[in-house]
Amino acid sequence: METLLVANKLTKHYKDVVALDDVSFEIQDGITGLLGENGAGKSTAIKIILGLIEPTSGGAEILGQDASEDIVVRSRLGYMPEHDCLPTNATASGFLTHMAEVSGLPPSQARSRAADTLRHVGLFEERYRSMGGYSTGMKQRVKLAQALVHDPAMVLLDEPTAGLDPAGREEMLDLVRKTHREFGISILFSSHLMADVERTCDRIVVLQGGKLIESGEVTKFTEETETVFIEVDDRREELVEVLQSKGVEIVPDGNGIYVEGEGESLYDSVRDALVESEAPLRRMGPRRRPLTELFEHEGEDFSEVRSS
Amino acid sequence: MTNQASIQPTGQVFDIGYQHYDGPREGRNRSRLAVYKDGIKIALGLGRGARAKILPFVFIGILVVVALVMALIAGAADRFAGEGAADALNLPSHAEYYSIASIILFIFAAIAAPELLCPDRRDGVINLYLVRPLTGTDYIAARWGAFLSVMLIVVWLPQLILLTGLVMGDPEPVDYLKDNWTDVPKFLAAGAAMAVYVSTIAMLTAAFTTRRAYASAFLVGLFVITTPFTIGLAEEIGGTIGQWISMFNLSNIPIHVNDIIFDETSDVTQGLPATELPEWVRVAWFFAWTIGPGAIIWQKYRRLAP
Repeated sequence: METLLVANKLTKHYKDVVALDDVSFEIQDGITGLLGENGAGKSTAIKIILGLIEPTSGGAEILGQDASEDIVVRSRLGYMPEHDCLPTNATASGFLTHMAEVSGLPPSQARSRAADTLRHVGLFEERYRSMGGYSTGMKQRVKLAQALVHDPAMVLLDEPTAGLDPAGREEMLDLVRKTHREFGISILFSSHLMADVERTCDRIVVLQGGKLIESGEVTKFTEETETVFIEVDDRREELVEVLQSKGVEIVPDGNGIYVEGEGESLYDSVRDALVESEAPLRRMGPRRRPLTELFEHEGEDFSEVRSS
Repeated sequence: MTNQASIQPTGQVFDIGYQHYDGPREGRNRSRLAVYKDGIKIALGLGRGARAKILPFVFIGILVVVALVMALIAGAADRFAGEGAADALNLPSHAEYYSIASIILFIFAAIAAPELLCPDRRDGVINLYLVRPLTGTDYIAARWGAFLSVMLIVVWLPQLILLTGLVMGDPEPVDYLKDNWTDVPKFLAAGAAMAVYVSTIAMLTAAFTTRRAYASAFLVGLFVITTPFTIGLAEEIGGTIGQWISMFNLSNIPIHVNDIIFDETSDVTQGLPATELPEWVRVAWFFAWTIGPGAIIWQKYRRLAP
């Protein structure tokens, strides 16, 4: 797997504040989550990677080059900022054409790439409307489109779901997955939302207080547990009663039930209880450990994150 | 019954899935050019609604009309009062044009220049420029260059129209050109000085606020208020200090250069204590007021990061 980004002992001090402290990681082809609370050092890391600020010590190479020494490498990178960055009086089509040119594409190619990219993010019909009248979701799509318009090898997305309602958030995460799986563009996905990272990314890099906490495959952190999760369409109360009568430890959770225990006998008990209670089974399987538990075990407080 | 052999293919299936771009990537120069072209369009309201075009073109129209009126008066004087009457009456010509039109030029710059810088910072678009193959220096140089280009058109176009009018209005156009050809390099140089100065001061103001209205109001105030203030104070104090106070009349700084180029004093600088200072001091003062603000703008943008 191709290594696209190498951060080597990145350290950044702002006077007395340590924004990054000896952070090293590598990012390969795929979707990588850069996870951390506000102030964890994610944005500082991205700025150093893009060559916008100098690290106090250490360095970063993206696509084999140091962006602070050779800014032309940025013509193969895309960046979607967290905050507003769209002109209100321009059309999406005109704006994307201009941004493609600023990325180094000739004008005729820029125009056709702008139209294609807007179609891919689902804004083709709206492309001649002034962006001042766009909804938050549409603006987020234009922000993603401007990061993709010049066909980068890698895009860096800073909180791409910020400010979106649940439906908009789902659509944006789908677009992010599609960007990698269908367009073949690698992604660094910076977020403080563990659920988004867990559902979208192949690998994660976790920062906290400017330090690297963890990095690796998401599956490494969300491995299967002995707990079984059951969801039934009906007769849930009866199922709970039967399971309790068999002495099985259960934890109700929304529409589902977590059944704690170990070994093959646990599945036998569940099977018997389902037959006895006549509850129609919708879903059953081993529970995966959520990312939030990783930080509970590490003694870290991501309570704000979990609540989202 | 359909004849199968006669059926011709009537359509084609295209793959409209995501296509990678394998064409040329023209790097930093293309980026600079894109920002420069965009700056020219913004300054003139091109590619935008009719409302964005009204103000720039109204001002350009006024400047052209001033030149046309000057040409018509000179032509009419020569035709109705006899050849050489325009010279005898000492009617305003190329040397006086910028002093007559300077207030219109200042107001145009005050309105147009903030459009090039303020919205990019207010809307956050600057963050998208700086993550592309473009530095803060590239960005501000391209924007300044774009506004300077527009200002050069705005200052030279009326002079060219005035020249055309004077040539056509003269009973002997060829002789007029032979006698007055030196006016052309002079008004090109004086116009360039005016454009560089006004562009730089206007961009400096626009670089320090995200609100276009504040920048415009401040610029108009700067050019209008310094005139009566410095004139009154310079007269009151007198001497060398008075001369230097008179130099702070910001609207006259490029007019002094114009006077030196044409070797005559304009109506607006006539009798001002600043004109008593040596020519080199007034030229150096002009350069200080263009290079200094230019350096401040560059310092502000060169380290700009999202």
